[in-house]
Amino acid sequence: MLPTTCCRLCCRALYSRGQRALSLFSSSGPSNWSKVVSDAEKIVGYPTSFMSLRCLLSDELSNVAVNVRKLVGTRHPLLSTARGFVYDNRNNLQMRGVIVLLMSKAAGPSHAASDALVQDMVSGIYPSQRNLAEITELIHTAFLVHRGIVNLKEWTVSDGPLKDMQFGNKMAVLSGDFLLANACTGLAKLDNTKVVELISSAIGDLVQGIYYESPSYTEDNSASDGIDVQTWEEQSFLSHGALLAKSCQAAMELANHDKEAQRLAYKYGKHLSLGHRLNSDLQPFVKSSVGEPVSFSLSAAPVVFHRQIVGEKRWRQQLQQAKTGGNQLDYSKILAAVKSEKGMSSAVDLCCYHGNKALEAIQTFPSSEARSALENIASAVTKC
Amino acid sequence: MAAPWWRHCRRWSTYCLNPLLVETGWCFNTRSVSSVSRTSWSVWSRNEVQPPSSTQPNLKPLICGNRLKSRLPFSALQSCCCRTIHSDTKPKDPFSLAQKDLTTLYDDIKKELFVSKHELKHLCDYYFDGKGKAIRPMIVVLMARALNIHSNRAGDLLPGQKAVAMISEMIHTASLVHDDVIDGSDKRRGKRTINEVWGEKKAILVGDFILSTASMALARIGNITVVKVLSQVIEDLVRGEFMQLGSKENENERFKHYLEKTFKKTASLIANSCKAVSILVNSDPDVHEIAYQYGKNVGIAFQLVDDVLDFTSGANHLGKPSAADLKLGLATGPVLFACQQFPELHAMIMRRFSSNGDVDRAWQYVLQSDGVQQTSYLAQHYCREAIRHISMLQPSPERDALIRLTDMVLNRDK
Repeated sequence: MLPTTCCRLCCRALYSRGQRALSLFSSSGPSNWSKVVSDAEKIVGYPTSFMSLRCLLSDELSNVAVNVRKLVGTRHPLLSTARGFVYDNRNNLQMRGVIVLLMSKAAGPSHAASDALVQDMVSGIYPSQRNLAEITELIHTAFLVHRGIVNLKEWTVSDGPLKDMQFGNKMAVLSGDFLLANACTGLAKLDNTKVVELISSAIGDLVQGIYYESPSYTEDNSASDGIDVQTWEEQSFLSHGALLAKSCQAAMELANHDKEAQRLAYKYGKHLSLGHRLNSDLQPFVKSSVGEPVSFSLSAAPVVFHRQIVGEKRWRQQLQQAKTGGNQLDYSKILAAVKSEKGMSSAVDLCCYHGNKALEAIQTFPSSEARSALENIASAVTKC
Repeated sequence: MAAPWWRHCRRWSTYCLNPLLVETGWCFNTRSVSSVSRTSWSVWSRNEVQPPSSTQPNLKPLICGNRLKSRLPFSALQSCCCRTIHSDTKPKDPFSLAQKDLTTLYDDIKKELFVSKHELKHLCDYYFDGKGKAIRPMIVVLMARALNIHSNRAGDLLPGQKAVAMISEMIHTASLVHDDVIDGSDKRRGKRTINEVWGEKKAILVGDFILSTASMALARIGNITVVKVLSQVIEDLVRGEFMQLGSKENENERFKHYLEKTFKKTASLIANSCKAVSILVNSDPDVHEIAYQYGKNVGIAFQLVDDVLDFTSGANHLGKPSAADLKLGLATGPVLFACQQFPELHAMIMRRFSSNGDVDRAWQYVLQSDGVQQTSYLAQHYCREAIRHISMLQPSPERDALIRLTDMVLNRDK
């Protein structure tokens, strides 16, 4: 049933670092993750460059900012996305850019680079690589915004007036498009058509991933066909991994590093993203204490594992048992079911596997502060 | 390239607002254009006064005191349009001349858009069903061939030029898909829109996907200058859409704003696609400028005519109901011109025709004014500019087709 996973679990035994027993999982919270990322920001110099500032301060986005106020009181997702820019989430928003910069710095200048080019480096990073990091963030942000487009036919009164939801959509389409368009012109200025092609393909991957992200399962179709672990990994790579993997690869290309360096950078970005995704899917399962209200997606990794382990028939029974009077789901019951079987521990193992693969990918880079930071990030992913 | 393009336009717009000067412009128009394509413009040069035809129910007799009031350019032009398209005389019409380079257009696009996921693939191909006019790829391939002859390079289109033609249609379609969500449209080219059938979220993702695929195809041409030129288009499209959100209080600024928006939303794609195919065959910046200027001027004329048709065409012609722009709160050329005769429109423009009865009242004012005609004259002006530029290329059947194309832009009724 799980040939790939089993094989990976065997592999896992070969790595000494980053291997965590389940009990360690709850010991360190996200604060650890924040610290690792913010420490890393110091290594790469200034974290934001002018591209995103120019974008955020443009007439177009100021216009959106003014208009978003009209959405207060509605349930349009653009509102919470916009809040995320202002408050918190600094680490989440900048995480991809920081990793691209660290990867650039860890790889250093290539032997093929001329001295004149090396002189342009700031904190060991080429200006084009800094721009690439910004573009990566722009694309990521654009899709945070486009993810929150609402299907108006599914509108209900509790969302707020229909007119406001239409307006929210309009703003979300335009601001997402604006960020993407800026990413496109930014890409062109990198003067490297290979990088343009690579990052454009990452945008295509991202769209495909989001397109097939399971719609938040409602009670009615919660028993519909689930996906298996392999499909989960493929989709998660498209929606959460491809952009970072290809940006890391592109950073190598911009510094004229060879195919092998590009392959390793891609590998780091891919496995780190998957580890990070598993880590966040696991959060409700490791953090919850008894009696607390919990909620999670039924397409979160532990649930996907669980369904595959117990089989569809038992899963349906468990869902049925978790149903409350108002046809709502009691998530704490599902959580208990997932925890009682191997669903959760399998997800933890897979998380460690990806963290270790990420660590492995950068071992051939010369030892440096930047490489250590990348290692710390990969290790942090294996702890929740 | 030295002066901003709109400065030029503004000069025209002030020029155009004075009835006497319009008359002058008019004479200039008949002279210059009839020398270029005699057959189709013969009706024009005789200054015929056409009675309102029954096919033009929306063009009511104009009540204003303008001397040109009963000339009704559209009904006159429509009759020539048919003649141009169906004539068997020697010069081929642009459509059939471009045909050989466009036979595989939609198949090529579908190949680019290949994804294994069934539903996404279906949505991506939805508008590439061969029913679109593909006017952008047509202009691009004609321009490419005209430029190749001008640059003494005989033979087929370069692969990169063919790719630009395809990319221009992909970028256009991606922007249509997003526009339909923004405008809440439920019909496009006689089909239900993607947002109507599959919802807004999927429509936006499909648009993004088509754009990313176009961007990959663009990168594979392997010329970074071409990538820069066409990336600019994507930025222009979004900025144009943003410009459409706001209205300007000051009338002069409003006109400038309108023309700039028109450039960004429609003309930039044609202008920069033409420039891209010129970069691929010729290194002379003057030649790039000729291609760019032709595309820019034809593009603006194309949109001005579109804005006129929103007032003059019946519901079934354009595939969207008339006065669609007014209903969306947009003040286009005919309204802006009408506002000079009927200042009552000013307040309606500022509140984006949102009060009860605004759309109907504005519609009446526009038809009572000479806004439609003024906008048509402006479109003619841009076409003359396009012809002036393209005429600097060496003669070729494709160059002449591009000149004839300006007629078709002006005379189309859908």
